[in-house]
Amino acid sequence: MTGPNVIVTFLSAMTEASSLFIAAAGLTLVFGAMRIINIAHGSFFAYGAFLVTTLVGASAGGSFWLALAVAGLAVGAMGAAVEVTVLRRVYRRDHLVQLVVTYALFLILADVALHLWGTQARSVRPPSMLSGSVAIGSRSFPAYDLFAIGAAIVTGLAMWALLQRTALGWRIRAAVEDPELLAASGTNVPLLYTTVFSIGGLLAGLAGAIGSPLQSISPGLDASVLVSAFIVAVIGGLGSVAGAAIGAVIISLFDTAGVLWAPGWEPAFIYLAMIAVLALRPSGLLGTAER
Amino acid sequence: MKPPASGRAARPGASRPAEARAPGPASAARGRGMNAAVVLGPLSAAVVLLALMPALLPTASLLNLQSALGLALFACATNLLVGYGGLVSFGQGAFYGIGAYVIALAWLHWQAPFWASFIVAPFAGAAMALLVGLVALRARRLYFALLTLAFSQLFYVVVLQQTGFTGGANGVFGTILPPLLSDPGHAYYFTLTVAVLGLLILWRITRSPFGMTLRAIRENRERAEALGVNVFAHQLMAFVIAGGFCALAGTLFVVLDQSANPDLLNWTQSGYPIFMAVLGGQFVFLGPALGALIYEQGRDVVLASFSDWQLVFGLLLLIVVLFSPDGVAGLLVRGRDIARRRLRSLRR
Amino acid sequence: MTAVLLDIHQLGKRFDGFAAVEDLDLAVWPGTIHSVIGPNGAGKTTFFRLLTGILRPTHGTVIFDGQDITGLRPHAVTRRGLTQSFQITNVFPRMSVIESVQTAILARRRRSWDFVTSYHRKVEQEALGLLGQVGLQELAGNMAQTLSHGDQRILEVALALATQPRMLLLDEPTAGMSPFETDRMVRLVTELARERGLTVLLSEHDMDVVFGISDEVTVLHQGRVIAHGPPGQVQDDQHVTEVYLGGEA
Repeated sequence: MTGPNVIVTFLSAMTEASSLFIAAAGLTLVFGAMRIINIAHGSFFAYGAFLVTTLVGASAGGSFWLALAVAGLAVGAMGAAVEVTVLRRVYRRDHLVQLVVTYALFLILADVALHLWGTQARSVRPPSMLSGSVAIGSRSFPAYDLFAIGAAIVTGLAMWALLQRTALGWRIRAAVEDPELLAASGTNVPLLYTTVFSIGGLLAGLAGAIGSPLQSISPGLDASVLVSAFIVAVIGGLGSVAGAAIGAVIISLFDTAGVLWAPGWEPAFIYLAMIAVLALRPSGLLGTAER
Repeated sequence: MKPPASGRAARPGASRPAEARAPGPASAARGRGMNAAVVLGPLSAAVVLLALMPALLPTASLLNLQSALGLALFACATNLLVGYGGLVSFGQGAFYGIGAYVIALAWLHWQAPFWASFIVAPFAGAAMALLVGLVALRARRLYFALLTLAFSQLFYVVVLQQTGFTGGANGVFGTILPPLLSDPGHAYYFTLTVAVLGLLILWRITRSPFGMTLRAIRENRERAEALGVNVFAHQLMAFVIAGGFCALAGTLFVVLDQSANPDLLNWTQSGYPIFMAVLGGQFVFLGPALGALIYEQGRDVVLASFSDWQLVFGLLLLIVVLFSPDGVAGLLVRGRDIARRRLRSLRR
Repeated sequence: MTAVLLDIHQLGKRFDGFAAVEDLDLAVWPGTIHSVIGPNGAGKTTFFRLLTGILRPTHGTVIFDGQDITGLRPHAVTRRGLTQSFQITNVFPRMSVIESVQTAILARRRRSWDFVTSYHRKVEQEALGLLGQVGLQELAGNMAQTLSHGDQRILEVALALATQPRMLLLDEPTAGMSPFETDRMVRLVTELARERGLTVLLSEHDMDVVFGISDEVTVLHQGRVIAHGPPGQVQDDQHVTEVYLGGEA
């Protein structure tokens, strides 16, 4: 393969990795800090994407950036609302109950989405300033895809800064790695949980919004994104945002390589990888060990 | 290494046996929700009633009931793991699908007689469960759930991909059933018989020493291990049994639908028996069957008037889980207990 | 001359260079009550975990009833006749008291693989008998989680007894108990040893209990044995007094 081809292939994989990373980051954060598997996480992603289609419509406009911000924040608010009204009641119950609750939310959100946005697939065109392409050697690469990669990098850095440099971040890390320390520190834990869950929602909504020009948006998006996000989060290590980044890169490279050399088998290999990780090293590449 | 068991203020004196239970072995059985005499009476009545249905119901409703019976077996088999074993397996759809595909593919490729495939299918499910269980049961709790989900998805994508062998996304369909089962009445009776027998066997198992040991493992894995129980082996056995019966339920799907499709193996399909078990009640043997019935009939009723079945089911699950942790069956049992107490106090 | 039941040689356990237990020698004779005492962190719990197979020793041997049980898994150790009753109450919360004991008996009789019979009904009488021995027969039908702490601890001992051990390990049996409950536990332990010939190895903080019922006392400090012998001898030991002046007594 020639130079530009390699680069373009690599960048395509990275584009795929981008929204996957942002989605998985939210999922892994919530699991790490709260030990909850949020089945509705994919629904948050889908809502982010759908909201952008509504706010922007099929025509590209300057309001795309506004739509991104609104979508992210709206879904973040949704997350907070869900946590306060429903999730809070089931923290002391066993994991199955929590699973059922988030699954019930998944069902409810899916149904409401059908009412709000119908069954037809929707699409969004990238904003005009990013609708062109960039030349790489003799090949061209969509400008928006570059933006998506950039957005993922920025989000990753923002997450790093949040976790490593702020008091909130310290508390979140304590919740993931040393809950006893957290309890002893006098933190308002319920408020922390609400915050973490809404950050998870915000990230999911943002991922959906950023990814919206890159894919067709239709019912079923919630379920498929959920599984993908899980795979990435598990392989990277549940609880680790950096792990989610690595996992996203690995999975998308895998996927791309698979398409080239063993088409049709990528999903199977990916699930085998997930199984291998869970069976041999459940904490994944960078995650914390099971408490 | 560990500090003495402080922080737990000892309550002076002995416990008060005031938990509305008389001491003694009979109450232990009652504590489990059902003993033989209590169950078999109404159950036989229910079976007789079900047997009369073909005469009473139109074909559409009969098919619905038939579907519910298959799902009831699916859900109760899954509950052996979830409710009795404390193992939340998100992959039982894999075995359900295997059961269906064994019959469908044997018919498609080798024109195998239905009855032969029907016998083989549960064992295929059990064998696959053995392999999956050997890997999955090494993990605990949430990781186990994720592992089983991954296996379910793995089978799903493989079946989807192997279009030549499995028919891919379209699945397999055709006159798979023998002439005997082509008649809706016969198909119904066959399903009823298989489901009832399957449920009876499962029930027997839950009420055996094995079942008791499984519950103990659920309650306190380490303590059971320290008593001399090989926890891994027992859990694996439960997983294999559940896999076999889920595959059996899968064969009933073929009897209903004369088809097999990849979606049967998907994680969303794997979720259904769990949610039926939670809805109906995990701690009562027939709870999941009740959940299956509510799901199937509820879907029918709701879809007739408006299309928001997902919404209704989701809300139902939420309400049940938040306010009645032991499901609808738990509600019924508590209601019955309250009614009994009222009656007793009235008589005095 | 009776043979030693539990013979421990040079038992040691290191965690990343930290020696939790080191050079531990101990011998327990059948039918006796042997107490292990020491300040917090002396290694008592680690020691018990090494005996029952929850932890593997770094070096040393454990010979029980003439057999080498060093490093065996917990369920194998239990089958050899050495059973522990846990410190942190460790029952089956949503099973009834009698069901818990039935399960233990089933495990002992290797009937936990029985899918078909109602064998557990048959062991109900034996279970009730066991509950009678420990004084819990009134609570047979109650859920284990509804029991008071003291009763749960006694249930714990009943579960251990159901495995028909030759030797019982009790990790702080009277921790968190009222004087009434402590008294009840002491009487039970004494009866088990004196009247039923059970050998008991226990760790304790309550010195009245220790010096009241023990045939032999071993004192641990920082993972090593610093004294052992009959209660009177240990009580008079200078080193022991020093060690305890700063710790619990």
